[in-house]
Amino acid sequence: MKVSELMSSKVEFTTPASSAKVAARQMHDQHVGALPVMSDQQLVGIITDRDICCKVTATGRDAGWTKVEEIMVKDVVTCFDDLSDSDAANIMIDHRIRRLAVLNHENSMVGFLSVDDLARSSHELASSVLEASTPVH
Amino acid sequence: MKVEEIMTTKVESVLPTTSLRAVARKMSDLGVGALPVVDEGILIGIITDRDVSVYAIAMGHDPQSTEVQKVMTREVFTCNASENINQAAKIMEQHKIRRLTVMRGDQELAGFLSVDDIAPVSGDLAGAVLEAATPIH
Repeated sequence: MKVSELMSSKVEFTTPASSAKVAARQMHDQHVGALPVMSDQQLVGIITDRDICCKVTATGRDAGWTKVEEIMVKDVVTCFDDLSDSDAANIMIDHRIRRLAVLNHENSMVGFLSVDDLARSSHELASSVLEASTPVH
Repeated sequence: MKVEEIMTTKVESVLPTTSLRAVARKMSDLGVGALPVVDEGILIGIITDRDVSVYAIAMGHDPQSTEVQKVMTREVFTCNASENINQAAKIMEQHKIRRLTVMRGDQELAGFLSVDDIAPVSGDLAGAVLEAATPIH
């Protein structure tokens, strides 16, 4: 099965200059745990609820005055939307992660593929991704 | 296989009156995404990294002055340490969650069981839990 058939394609995004507070509200309203960070239609990072927990709430920084670009993860691991589910799983396994940003061949971001999405095509693939990734219990 | 053979036994907990900031710091230091909230030896709730970041910020709670009991989840899904992992996985699937608090007897907190703990021993069970879980992408 191809990544494009499994990914979640509703891509809401934030910008580097947005505040952590605005990003948190957006994650809350949209029931997502991660947002792509876009600048001039280019993907420049990913921000997750965990980033906000560890880098804002835990440190005492003010969420209203902290910019997304200060706490986002800049090394975004991506895959193309026409890749097979098992190739995408191998990328996650190599990087010990559970989520990939999905690009089309024009390099536009078209979705996210998470280990949950993989579980819909193969329990075994999803499970190998979990086993390889760094657990957050 | 029994839950106690694969669960995570290092159980740190927080008090209902602990501040969100202190909880976030503890989660960051321990590399965990959830902590049990214990009051006078009794488990009264669970607090997650998402609760202290996304939810708290969206609700406008100040992390320094807001207590855990204000944002924790009071409904805690549990299983017993001596239970079979198939049964535990079923409880997760039923409630669309990825983590259970493990009890020994009625009141003693014994650990956590997450889908990550299940993956190395049964890919199919772990995959089924992920597939059933409410996706947070």
